[in-house]
Amino acid sequence: MKKRLSLVVSSIIMAGALSACSGAEETSSTASSAGESDFPKKPISIIVAYDAGGGTDTTARTLQPFLEEELGETVTIVNQPGGSGWVGWNAIAAAKPDGYTIGFLNSPNLASGLVNPTMEKQVDLGSFEMIGNHVVDPGAVAIRVDDKRFSNFKELVEYAKDHEVTTTATGVAGDDHLVTLKLNEALGTKFKAIQFDGTAKSRAAFLGGHVDVLVTSVGEAYPMHLEKQLKVAAVTAEERSSFLPDVPTVEEEGFEPVISQSTRGLVAPKGVDEETMEVLETAFEKAVTNAEHEKKMEEIGTQVGYYNAEDYRALLEQDVKDIEGLKELLGW
Amino acid sequence: METIQLLMTGFEIALSWQNILYCLAGVSVGMIVGILPGLGPSAGTALLIPLTFAMDPISAIIMLSGIFYGSMYGGTITTVLVNVPGEAASVVTSLDGYPMAKKGRAGVALGISAIGSFVGGVVAIIGVALVAPHLVKFALSFGPPEYFALILFGMTMVVGLAGKSIIRGVLAVLIGLVLAMFGIAPSSGDIRFSFGQAFLIDGFDFVTIAMGLFGLSEILLGLEQQMKKPEKPPKVKGLFPSRQEIRPSAMSIGRGTVLGFFLGLIPGISSVVPSLLSYSMEKRLAKDPSRFGKGAIEGVAGPETANNSFTGGALIPLFLLGIPSSATMAVLLGAFVLHGLQPGPTLFVRHADFVWAVIASMFIGNLLLLFMNLPLAKFWAKIASIPFNMLFPIIIAVSIVGTYSISNSLWDVGGLLIFGLLGYVLKKADIPVAPIALVFILGKMMEESLLQTLGLYNGNFMEIFTRPISGTLMALSVLAIILSIIAGMKNKKALLGDSEV
Repeated sequence: MKKRLSLVVSSIIMAGALSACSGAEETSSTASSAGESDFPKKPISIIVAYDAGGGTDTTARTLQPFLEEELGETVTIVNQPGGSGWVGWNAIAAAKPDGYTIGFLNSPNLASGLVNPTMEKQVDLGSFEMIGNHVVDPGAVAIRVDDKRFSNFKELVEYAKDHEVTTTATGVAGDDHLVTLKLNEALGTKFKAIQFDGTAKSRAAFLGGHVDVLVTSVGEAYPMHLEKQLKVAAVTAEERSSFLPDVPTVEEEGFEPVISQSTRGLVAPKGVDEETMEVLETAFEKAVTNAEHEKKMEEIGTQVGYYNAEDYRALLEQDVKDIEGLKELLGW
Repeated sequence: METIQLLMTGFEIALSWQNILYCLAGVSVGMIVGILPGLGPSAGTALLIPLTFAMDPISAIIMLSGIFYGSMYGGTITTVLVNVPGEAASVVTSLDGYPMAKKGRAGVALGISAIGSFVGGVVAIIGVALVAPHLVKFALSFGPPEYFALILFGMTMVVGLAGKSIIRGVLAVLIGLVLAMFGIAPSSGDIRFSFGQAFLIDGFDFVTIAMGLFGLSEILLGLEQQMKKPEKPPKVKGLFPSRQEIRPSAMSIGRGTVLGFFLGLIPGISSVVPSLLSYSMEKRLAKDPSRFGKGAIEGVAGPETANNSFTGGALIPLFLLGIPSSATMAVLLGAFVLHGLQPGPTLFVRHADFVWAVIASMFIGNLLLLFMNLPLAKFWAKIASIPFNMLFPIIIAVSIVGTYSISNSLWDVGGLLIFGLLGYVLKKADIPVAPIALVFILGKMMEESLLQTLGLYNGNFMEIFTRPISGTLMALSVLAIILSIIAGMKNKKALLGDSEV
């Protein structure tokens, strides 16, 4: 009996140790120096700075097989959560620049960390070589279907110019919070953001009538909009979302355009040589714009938004600039 | 009557042999995931989602939810046997579960947990099927002031757990609050106490704290004991509660079921709350509260039951509002969406077969867990009789691997060692560690809900007292404090005399 028991226990340990080792190998797989056009010669690791099962992880794993097809090599997802994403992002920047370790950046979370005065920065946008943007999720401003004070975005803005209206946010200078701040700045409204630890809690407070307006992303809001649990009054994007064809943009409602969205893109550490970057960029573009991939992404309620390396860098730089402009409102 | 009919149809689907097999696979994997520290239920579920892509949606969800509640039971096993709570809800179980194991009653503790979990789970499922959809409105009336009051009430209960010395208890609560301060401030976004380290930006991970304060420190104490005077591992003494324990345990299970179910309906409450409140309730209702913390069976039966019926009740906000109550449920929600099942008020209408099949499968899954675990409890309990010098290195190795796997980094392992040493020092100083872990979780929620309340009502703190639900909870908190002061004064003499242990 004892023997069998120790066998079970040791096999449990073995299993644990194996899984841990494989994690370690993935991040430190830095054998031969690449550079020739025969890249890639071995598996590529993609660092995701959030937990397995989270939004970024899910979309990364959806892209994975398409990327593998283009690159002709195994692609593994390595989750390095912690530090609100910074553990993973720092790890991407610090990886050996041979193209075999790349990863996803999430903005505006990254940008707000770069602007936050209490953050001791180890990296900046110059620490990365951009490969391209993968996902765009515009902000969505939603009201309750039975709200008597306003029933569309115009009425909401008119009301909020004279009254304090509470909105939800999920993190200071996070994507939801920025929507509120940008609206206040552009339209002169008196929205007041209340911070919640995650969308689940902010949604409960909104549905229960404790907070007036739910600010979230299109990806989070559209299923509830279709269910008529809430009404998305406007999206903070340049054009309407295909998930919410009946919802206008802020500009379409007759206001100054307000653009606020969260993005996820793939990057490599600085110093990867040009040829390798080209292989990665081409493969990424083909994988992302693959019709089958777009269909899969739509099924999980995520909007693909391909930007090439140059445009993606410009997008991140704009994010940083936007938040710097809001420093006063943020109290930073 | 229509619901009964729908439930029967659900059973028909869930009882197909494929679905029974998927359910069995789910709960078995869940058990293993729960036993391995570090790889928590949410990561375990997430990693298996890709496996279900090709499966029929109903079977997929049956298997994934099996992993979910199977892992809750697995977590109990490590908590009782080696005092390593893998998740927050298990901390409360460790208070009496581990002392029971030390007395050779690990089998009884695991057995009563299995029975309690079964009863709690099944009753909650029946509740979900019959009455819960009508209670959603009530649950949503819980706003930030109500959360704050509920958490504060929980905190006063934590001080009550502290044991003999109120001062030591308060000290432990304060340490927990300080640990909860690490990370990003909820309203200003300021990063507190990160010392320039990316790993500290988000504060500490609960698993690191729990495994260090509980598991590792216990091993250090055990080693010291071994050096002084080698102790024989306890003999396993049977599986069933003694005759006089049956009635109190049954009562605890009943109370835990009701409490957990109603708390489960409120969206977004941490699973710590039901276990904690159930434990305090049991301690207050017991004829001899001094047994608690030394291996009282009600201290295991109540919280374990509450935990499981909480999970059952939490299905309602999940199904109807798409609001998950825990990280694992959030992963499950993701799996729903992946399989084209969008939660919402009309889910029960649009996908009636799905909802009722999953509910029926949980009934079956709980039964499977009961049948698996009653015989297995005997087997697991034998682990407690492995000689310490063999057991300790194994626990340390598993803990280190588990902490490493949190974010694939050695940083968390370092944290584990530091919290292990801290736990050792605290236990030597007779300062209880459970309040630290509980307050660590509650503290964050309390700060958040307080700031939300102040933000919503223009800094008017009185709002918490004037709203009916929060006002009642605040009154209960004050009452709890007064009662414990009176009890403290009464027991002062007795406690002064009792200086051992």
